[in-house]
Amino acid sequence: MSAGGTPGEDKHPRTLLPAPDSPPDPPAGERAERSGLDRLDDLLAGPPRLPEQPAAAASDGVPAQGGRPTARKEDPPTVQPGGAAAGAAARGGTPADARDDAGHGERRGERAGNVTGTQGDPWGPATARPPRPIGGRIARGAGELMITAGVVVVLFLAYQLWITDIFASRTQDQIRHDLTTAWARQAPTEPEPGGPAANQRPAVPPVELGDGIAVLRVPRFGADYAPVVVEGVTTEALRRGPGHFPGTALPGGIGNFVVSGHRTTYGKPFSRVDELRVGDPIVVEVADRYFTYRVTGSEIVNPHRLDVTYPVPGHLGEMPTRSLMTLTTCHPRFSAKSRLIVFAELDETRDKSQGAPPALTDR
Amino acid sequence: MYSWIFRHLPGPARVRIPLAVLLALGVAAILLFLVFPLVESHLPATSVTVGV
Repeated sequence: MSAGGTPGEDKHPRTLLPAPDSPPDPPAGERAERSGLDRLDDLLAGPPRLPEQPAAAASDGVPAQGGRPTARKEDPPTVQPGGAAAGAAARGGTPADARDDAGHGERRGERAGNVTGTQGDPWGPATARPPRPIGGRIARGAGELMITAGVVVVLFLAYQLWITDIFASRTQDQIRHDLTTAWARQAPTEPEPGGPAANQRPAVPPVELGDGIAVLRVPRFGADYAPVVVEGVTTEALRRGPGHFPGTALPGGIGNFVVSGHRTTYGKPFSRVDELRVGDPIVVEVADRYFTYRVTGSEIVNPHRLDVTYPVPGHLGEMPTRSLMTLTTCHPRFSAKSRLIVFAELDETRDKSQGAPPALTDR
Repeated sequence: MYSWIFRHLPGPARVRIPLAVLLALGVAAILLFLVFPLVESHLPATSVTVGV
């Protein structure tokens, strides 16, 4: 979307270009390209003279341009076979159209400026013709606005698809760094491996909303897949990474550890959640432990089904006895119509001193 | 609109064209990095959680 003007802009200037411009000169493609710019500068240097001309002479007519006609004749319009010139001819334009279409559209803008500058009419015709009817000007303005709106929509798509991923990736790097630092700072209270105390210790210390609490690893999504789960499911938190539903169980805890994540945009951590199959491992890494969950099933529900987050999914008020994990994301992709829910159950808890769990090492 | 903007850019064509491109890129950058992050919260397409 350069400011060079829109294709519809040149109707008037075109039809009024003087005859001396006429004879097309097929072979001089590159020459026109270069000298076109030179001439462009000539023309652009000219404007101060023009306002002194009477309005009628200020048209594109040769007389109004002083020495210009010579310059023009030295540089006749070019016909590029099958190119812009052909297009212009097909539209019934003069050969000058071809030049304009060949990339020198800005000339039009300048010419128009010479005249409209004197008339104070930004959209006015570039010639001594009566001003474009108000309806035409409105139509053209509306057209430009619509083109602009279209470009903005396309830009927004690009933003959603790519720019948010950049933001999210940067944020995730920061959160990962913070989390690793916090883990290193936590006094490594050497637990007896496999001892009874191992499951009593809280997996995650209290954190602020938006802070990282755990690293998610899903072998099916590849060895590089390791998004940091943050606390909270507000819009802001979810832009930082998959979010833990506050109030639901913590990783490894009895109850339901609920994590929501974007399926598209913002790093799309859950874009491939639909590929999970029953039995697939989901490893949640915290400061001192790995929790390996195994997928038990999935469901597509409407967005109001809060019951999937209950400690015993679907059963309000029931006392949980198992450690479950529930992933939620939007479904279908690029839509907020439904939610894709994946259920998993804790299969193994392993202290970090024992090394990575088999789910991660057995590839 | 666009021709009006182009006419009001200073300098000769070889200055104006890059200037116009820069202007367009600047507008795009403002949209991408300032405007869109603000407006997108009001759009529903990014909801992933359940609840009322």
